[in-house]
Amino acid sequence: MSATAKVGYFVRTALGSMVRSPFVHVIAVAALAMALFGYGVARIASTQLEALLHSLGGEVEFTVYLADDAPADQLDELEKALVTRTHGTARRVAPAEALGRLAAQLGEEGKALTELGDNPLPWSLEVRLPSEARDPEALKALAESVKRLPFVTGVDYGEEAIARLSLIARALRLAIAIAFALVFLTTVIIVSATLQLAIFARRDEIEIQKLVGGTDTFVRFPFLIEGLVQGLLGGASSLGLAWLAVRALESDPSSPVAFLRLSGHFAVDWPRLGAEMLGLAVALGLLGSFVAVRRFLRV
Amino acid sequence: MFHVTKSYPGDPPVLLDINLDIEKGEFIFLTGPSGAGKSTLLKMMFLAERPTRGQVLIAGRNIARLRASGIPYLRRNIGVVFQDFKLLGNRTVAENVGFTLDVIGVPRDEVRERSLKMLRRVGLEHKADVSPLKLSGGEQQRVSLARALVNDPALLLADEPTGNLDPALTVEIMDLLCDVNARGTTVIVATHDATLIARYHKRTLRLEKGAMVADSRGEKAARLMSQEV
Repeated sequence: MSATAKVGYFVRTALGSMVRSPFVHVIAVAALAMALFGYGVARIASTQLEALLHSLGGEVEFTVYLADDAPADQLDELEKALVTRTHGTARRVAPAEALGRLAAQLGEEGKALTELGDNPLPWSLEVRLPSEARDPEALKALAESVKRLPFVTGVDYGEEAIARLSLIARALRLAIAIAFALVFLTTVIIVSATLQLAIFARRDEIEIQKLVGGTDTFVRFPFLIEGLVQGLLGGASSLGLAWLAVRALESDPSSPVAFLRLSGHFAVDWPRLGAEMLGLAVALGLLGSFVAVRRFLRV
Repeated sequence: MFHVTKSYPGDPPVLLDINLDIEKGEFIFLTGPSGAGKSTLLKMMFLAERPTRGQVLIAGRNIARLRASGIPYLRRNIGVVFQDFKLLGNRTVAENVGFTLDVIGVPRDEVRERSLKMLRRVGLEHKADVSPLKLSGGEQQRVSLARALVNDPALLLADEPTGNLDPALTVEIMDLLCDVNARGTTVIVATHDATLIARYHKRTLRLEKGAMVADSRGEKAARLMSQEV
């Protein structure tokens, strides 16, 4: 038999068996689909949470208070040095502007400030740092080094808020990782158990093939093709389910996970997620079949 | 077979120091009470079991030491008929017979043609496209025989091939086996049916508690068995 004829035989045998006993195959596809759906949801949720964490608090504001007697050219140099060191942007804030801002923030009570003869607020530099610079340790080190620069009288960067936010982010990331590991482990267990059951139902067929002189490869190939088809069907179904679920959540503003949406929709990279889910489903289908058949090849 | 012993840890030996020489083209009955080791002896010949000690030579080659990857090629030259038929209910009769040819890569059309030819020989061509589950016990055994023979094996092993059949069907199957033997295939039939052995005057090996206790030929075997009946 030529190689093409052999492949033809394997494909015919695999599809024939799927048609003959559809029930076990539907169960296997459903198990794969449900498990992969769980994976997809976990993946989408983790991407959304990451994006959410990233957007929380926006950019970090780092305020450097300056001495009143600082000459303008020195301030220019200080500003340049800060921008280079932090990769952020800096803006010089005059005492009058700072006082106006403070008064606006205090509202009614702020009116008293306008009656002050002298403005007690110093000149300052507001440096906006990129969000990836929001690491408490790095910020602390930066503050320490900036404090030592000439004409700098103080530094403020909301130390406590930053520390709390990074703690929350760390806890959330850990929770995502654990949830992800659990979903993945469950997926593997459910899928391999279901495929084993499906193949157990056909152990007689394997036994007879072996007894009439079938090689392990010959016996295994149709099962691998079945695993491949089951993986493709399961993966495609789970992807469809995930898409429908995202659509449903997007159209329901009262959804309990509505907080995950950024600017009204879920930012899901469908081609990438699709390739990931299909790839994983096919790998699980193939691996599950391979392992499950092996048990029955010892005839 | 030379000094073949088969034992499992903690149990008495299933086969004990069996020495046996079978010529090409022979017809042999393997008899003895249930649990004597008949099925195990047959299983040694197609390597469903390996001996604990001793050698099993087929065409001068010790198959007891054959590597696992070589087993399929050995089995392609051996037809096996099982007492429980081992037919697949979700395939047609012709597909069940063709299974043996599929595994050796015979083209599709030829598989169908040779399966039908074999079914004609066992008188079941008209049942080619039905499920074996719709056949009687005798018919199922004939399908099983057709599957074992479709590849023209050099050796045919039949484990209690008439165990589940009534006397008329038993004769039918036995006639088929004799016909196969007449065409040159070595046939070994395990049976505890003494009337069968008394009727067909063939070489008979008797096992008891795993040991070979008698090796008699023709009339003598028939006489021995008719005393037992």
